Amino acid sequence: MSSVVKQIIAVSGIMILFLVCVMVLGLCFGSSGTGIRSFAETIESFSNPDSLYYTIIWKIRFPRVLIAAMVGAALSLGGLVFQALMRNPLAEPYILGISGGSAIGAIIGILLNLSRFPGVSILAFLGGMGTLFLVLLISTGKTLLKKESLLLSGVMVNAFCSAVIMFLISLTQDARIHNIMFWLMGDLSSGGKSEALIMGIILLPCFVIIFWFSNSMNLLLMGKEMALSMGVNVKIITVSLLMISSFMVSATVCYCGLVGFVGLVIPHLLRLVFGSDHRVLVPACIFGGGAYLVLCDLLARTLPHQGEMPAGVITALVGAPVFIFLLKRSE
Amino acid sequence: MFKKIRAISIIGMSLVIFSAGIVCAETRPMKDQAGRIVDVPVSPNRVVSLAPSITEIIYDLKCEDRLKGATTYSDFPKAAQKLPKVGSYVYLDLEKIVSLKPDLCIGIKDGNPKAIVMRLESLGIPVYAVNPRSIDSIQSTVLEIGELLQASEKARHMVGEMESRIDYIRQLTATAKNQPRVFFQIGISPIVSAGSDTFIHELIEMAGGINLAQSYISYPRFSIEEVVVAAPDIMIITSMAREKVFDQIMAKWKQWPNIPAVKNDRIFLVDSNLFDRPTPRLIEGLEVLLQIIHPELNFKPVNF
Amino acid sequence: MMETSVCAKNLSYAYDGATVLSNVSFSVSNGEFFIVIGPNGSGKTTLMKIIAGLIKIQTGELEIKGQSVKKYKRKILARKIAFVPQQIPTDFPFVVEDVVLFGRSPHLGTFGLESRKDIHLAEQAMKFTETSYLARRRLNQLSGGECQRVFIARAICQAPDIIVLDEPTASLDIAHQLRIMDMMEKMKQEKNITVIMVSHDVNLAAMYADTLMLINNGQQVRVGPPGEVLTYETLESVYGCPLLVDENPLDKLPRVTPVPGRYIKGLSDR
Repeated sequence: MSSVVKQIIAVSGIMILFLVCVMVLGLCFGSSGTGIRSFAETIESFSNPDSLYYTIIWKIRFPRVLIAAMVGAALSLGGLVFQALMRNPLAEPYILGISGGSAIGAIIGILLNLSRFPGVSILAFLGGMGTLFLVLLISTGKTLLKKESLLLSGVMVNAFCSAVIMFLISLTQDARIHNIMFWLMGDLSSGGKSEALIMGIILLPCFVIIFWFSNSMNLLLMGKEMALSMGVNVKIITVSLLMISSFMVSATVCYCGLVGFVGLVIPHLLRLVFGSDHRVLVPACIFGGGAYLVLCDLLARTLPHQGEMPAGVITALVGAPVFIFLLKRSE
Repeated sequence: MFKKIRAISIIGMSLVIFSAGIVCAETRPMKDQAGRIVDVPVSPNRVVSLAPSITEIIYDLKCEDRLKGATTYSDFPKAAQKLPKVGSYVYLDLEKIVSLKPDLCIGIKDGNPKAIVMRLESLGIPVYAVNPRSIDSIQSTVLEIGELLQASEKARHMVGEMESRIDYIRQLTATAKNQPRVFFQIGISPIVSAGSDTFIHELIEMAGGINLAQSYISYPRFSIEEVVVAAPDIMIITSMAREKVFDQIMAKWKQWPNIPAVKNDRIFLVDSNLFDRPTPRLIEGLEVLLQIIHPELNFKPVNF
Repeated sequence: MMETSVCAKNLSYAYDGATVLSNVSFSVSNGEFFIVIGPNGSGKTTLMKIIAGLIKIQTGELEIKGQSVKKYKRKILARKIAFVPQQIPTDFPFVVEDVVLFGRSPHLGTFGLESRKDIHLAEQAMKFTETSYLARRRLNQLSGGECQRVFIARAICQAPDIIVLDEPTASLDIAHQLRIMDMMEKMKQEKNITVIMVSHDVNLAAMYADTLMLINNGQQVRVGPPGEVLTYETLESVYGCPLLVDENPLDKLPRVTPVPGRYIKGLSDR
């Protein structure tokens, strides 16, 4: 029998390596065309903060790559947790109405002409947590632990929010409609050094706490009663995981809008490769999810001739075929 | 002891030179149209334009040699299309802009994404915001950009010419006997017109017409019913290079012969480029409108 | 004085107004083999789940090892009682050796990571239940009997004082039934584990149990050694069908034989 500790170390090692490689690629390439050579030059002229390369690579690309890694990690982890809690493979991080609620909050912020940080971000966060509480309120009591009821409530709340969003968009007649659309499609371009720091402070403790709960997530897969019988305090753990994951996902939405597909596909992909043990999957999702979004963001800003594609488009275009391929292989 | 004195004097000298450097740093503060004080270079040589209208104005001022980059849709004049592109007006590419090493960026208040503007400024690149929302503010924009680019005289000349042409048109319209009701159609499907807060509205009024789409919304939507009830004397449709589509639109409106404009065959197609950018070209658009709305005044363009 | 593993007083339970258990009281000593029998729907499963702490008590008291079940922290309770369900969730996406190893969870530290000792204990549990050869198989590839043995192995890993089983032999053939019952007896004798289970097979129950409890309609009918509980009057009144009770030739314990209808008609005909 292989010890799970050895597995965790091996898997984490591989994924960290992948993440680092992809992050370096992310620093080397970008829309201004500065390439690997300039990256090497930058390492040499590291002490020259005035050079153009230094500015581009360390002040523009580095925070962006860091944020992409953290957002990718948070979304993948959120997807993993929701898939475990709801025992439903279609669960993804926005499913409990977080996307709908935070979008409404953000749109209101944009329409009020607030600046992206902190105005729109805070409203987006409040919106996301607001819909979360609404969903919990709807499925309260005994039904909270019935997995379908949470899922259904989330889907319904999201649908309602979609209608509200469409309504708000139809009211918007001016240039702000662009801001709204970019927010809805996921926009990793706005964050700088301070945003990266804040996100790190918020997200890293969440990652650790979720890892702490990872064996409980394994046991939850056996069903509520069996989990209880093996010492898992099902109610407390479910609610805690729900709150922390939703908080984590809402925090990412604050900064980058809605980046879809990462939270749905990465956990499945990693499960196909590494198995279902959450103690292994949690670090895998953190590093693997981060690497995936860094890669997709890199493609999003370098592929198009002009400007950028929304990151959410690339995550879907790349992720779906890869996933289907792996699925077929595993049969 | 001697070493200490030497060390202190070296540090002291460096500080003096450093501060002198800052003092002579060749920047001056200017108040932009967003009300902020921006430290702009006295003689900017690497300017990046963050909007098509600004690109146009810079070319009008003959300062294009200072211009090193512009947005994707900065397509007038034709020469501007060769400039390096820095993303679109609503989705600027931070990295591209920075790689052009600009010493000044000129952008539009509430048009460009605020977050990118703030990032540019945090990287030490000054951004001057203009806010051309009316003919008046276009004129002050031209003057301010002229001031920024050391082309104040040319700017004054341009504004003077604009003024003269506007005055001439005002004189003409003062003699007009009536004010035709005008419906200016921007969108085909749905039907969208231009409300009170737009250039088009201002131009229609200046050209002696009544804008039927006056309302608090900038781009109000109309149903066919509402247009019929409004009974415009004149209908003006913008082209955006849609000649064939124009025939279809004409055919559609011909179904409603009780609209005065249809009955009297006063439906016109105009070049949208003259009406949607806040640049001096709007005056050309104004002249086009005058000829459509008051053909009886026999407008003849005059060289100023 | 033998120490008590489980002590239940006046347990009652109702689902949505329908009473499932009323006033059930009993006590089980350490190392005892306690089997609950009774007709379908008599509340036996609910009782098992209450004892194992899976369902919250509505009325009555329950003490595990001398302490009220309400005072136990979940994890500590899981080290005292292990539960083996009737229906095994086969969509659990792990192989057998991982399933068994999960039984160590109540004993693991903060991050739930196993040590050499835990792995060793799991190997022993698989040896005990003769499931070592299944180590790398998935749950949905196992037969009913193999599944049960795997879950019993998992329960053994919890190193419990008490093991509660809900009809472990329900859908198994005779050979597998015997195997499971023998395994339970071995656990009781070798490790002094208290075994509490539900059985639908009265004869098997009679041959293994130290104490039988007969339940009907949520009410306790009789508690005691098999000889006292398995009388034909008691059984017929509970099961409502003709039964013949005689002595098992192996150990003189009661043997219950169901009587087919044709014998009754024949008797009245003569």
